[in-house]
Amino acid sequence: MSASLEVELAGLKLRNPLMLASGILGSKVSSLNRIARHAGAVVTKSVGLNAREGYKNPCVVNWRCGILNAVGLASPSAEDFAKELSKFEKNCVLVVSLYGSKPEDFEKLPEHFPMADAFELNLSCPHAEKLGLEIGRDPDLVKEIIRAVKSKTDKPVFAKLSFHMNIVEIGKVCEEAKADGVVAINTVKGMAIDIVSRRPILSNVSGGVSGEAIKPIALKCVWDLFEEISIPIIGCGGITSWKDVVEFVLAGATAVQIGSALFYSGHIFKSIEESLKSYLRIYGENISDLIGQAHKV
Amino acid sequence: MFCVRIDDVIRHNERVATIKFERKIPSFPGQFLMVNVFGYEEIPLSLSSPNSVTVKAVGETTEALVNSKPKDLIGLRGPFGRPFTPSDKALIVAGGIGIAPLKFLHDYLIDRGAEVLVVFGARTAKDLIWVDEFENAIFATDDGSEGFRGNVVELVKSIDLSKFERIYCCGPKPMLRGLFELFKAKNVLDKAEFSLENYMRCGIGLCGSCVLENGARVCVEGPVFRGIELPKEF
Repeated sequence: MSASLEVELAGLKLRNPLMLASGILGSKVSSLNRIARHAGAVVTKSVGLNAREGYKNPCVVNWRCGILNAVGLASPSAEDFAKELSKFEKNCVLVVSLYGSKPEDFEKLPEHFPMADAFELNLSCPHAEKLGLEIGRDPDLVKEIIRAVKSKTDKPVFAKLSFHMNIVEIGKVCEEAKADGVVAINTVKGMAIDIVSRRPILSNVSGGVSGEAIKPIALKCVWDLFEEISIPIIGCGGITSWKDVVEFVLAGATAVQIGSALFYSGHIFKSIEESLKSYLRIYGENISDLIGQAHKV
Repeated sequence: MFCVRIDDVIRHNERVATIKFERKIPSFPGQFLMVNVFGYEEIPLSLSSPNSVTVKAVGETTEALVNSKPKDLIGLRGPFGRPFTPSDKALIVAGGIGIAPLKFLHDYLIDRGAEVLVVFGARTAKDLIWVDEFENAIFATDDGSEGFRGNVVELVKSIDLSKFERIYCCGPKPMLRGLFELFKAKNVLDKAEFSLENYMRCGIGLCGSCVLENGARVCVEGPVFRGIELPKEF
């Protein structure tokens, strides 16, 4: 009986389709190494050329259906982060997430990270001025950025997209620019107000919603992208249980990213992996057989 | 996040105050809250009782909190983190403001009929707070203004550790490292519990700001760690 969880993602072999999403536990190599014991891949916190302090606390709060954050791309400089990542133990695929405001910034980043197996371009952070989403909405800029990064590295390059853009149009632009895959989706803009103090809770007033609240939204984005593009899609947004993983794969995702669900359990990669194996054993299938199956008439 | 009103602010000395809330937070000793001081920042603070935090003014936010007034509103998230495990024969070792979670633990254990010895060290006598509230305590000060002259680690060396079921520690990093080495040499690390602090953003295990060298998160797997769980450098 098969029941293999292995997937091939743009030439990379992943032991399972579960990836750690960027921004969660991704700024210290010790936590990446810990997650890497059971994940198929880990994606680091986004890094740019220079260090960024980010926003004041409160910048991450939990609420009924997930997490709300406006960390503001707090990260060390590329040079310092590369030193940290040099201690990565290579127990799974390492994807380094990059941010910048223009193609010239992005293209200088890959050379810092010889330990990376692939790069993810943050074209979708909803709460940083002149970065992330603000550039990801511009098709010409997206094309230029992907081409610039591709010209500097032979490793796979994934573009992380947002619900707050014409995602299918930008997905097509990514494919044209020879991106090796797209990640859908980043957090969705949102906020929370405390009704006693009567003020917004996040110091930045608004931020990005992740977790279970956005799962159906993310699933629809993956579905729409699969209909229109043929490069691999990495599903992301609210994946909390093994059933969510199956849904995303059936909608067309080759792999999925998990982030906010670590709030519920630090062992979630291991438990989802075990549950997926059981599901696949029932049908005698491999996970890769399921990709996009829900689209078949 | 939810709001509570401050009931009382007890000043212990120039820089340290206990902020009492109007209601109790269901919690265990060793757990912490993310405390949002409106207009400033949200910071992690250990509970010093079910309805208080005890804080030392070291920056803008802690300064504002120490100077807060009864009836002021503060925002809370939590309680978070793994608490201390109770015991019947307890040694409590505190340094400076590290006494905060251990005061909660002390009262909790005494209520349950445990035997507790407190070893509490600080710079000077003025920095020792709650001195009359411990059932059985010995003190150390750097300048000898109260009790043993010298640091807590030296004082603990003179104690027979074998009679304690657990040893609970909280204080500045150099003190904790000193105790860690001492307990390792005396082969009692497995019964020691260390409460650590670290810079935190989320307090709920997601942001990664407080991760230790071994990948453990201070906010979730901690802030209380058993001695044998700690990495070589912490």
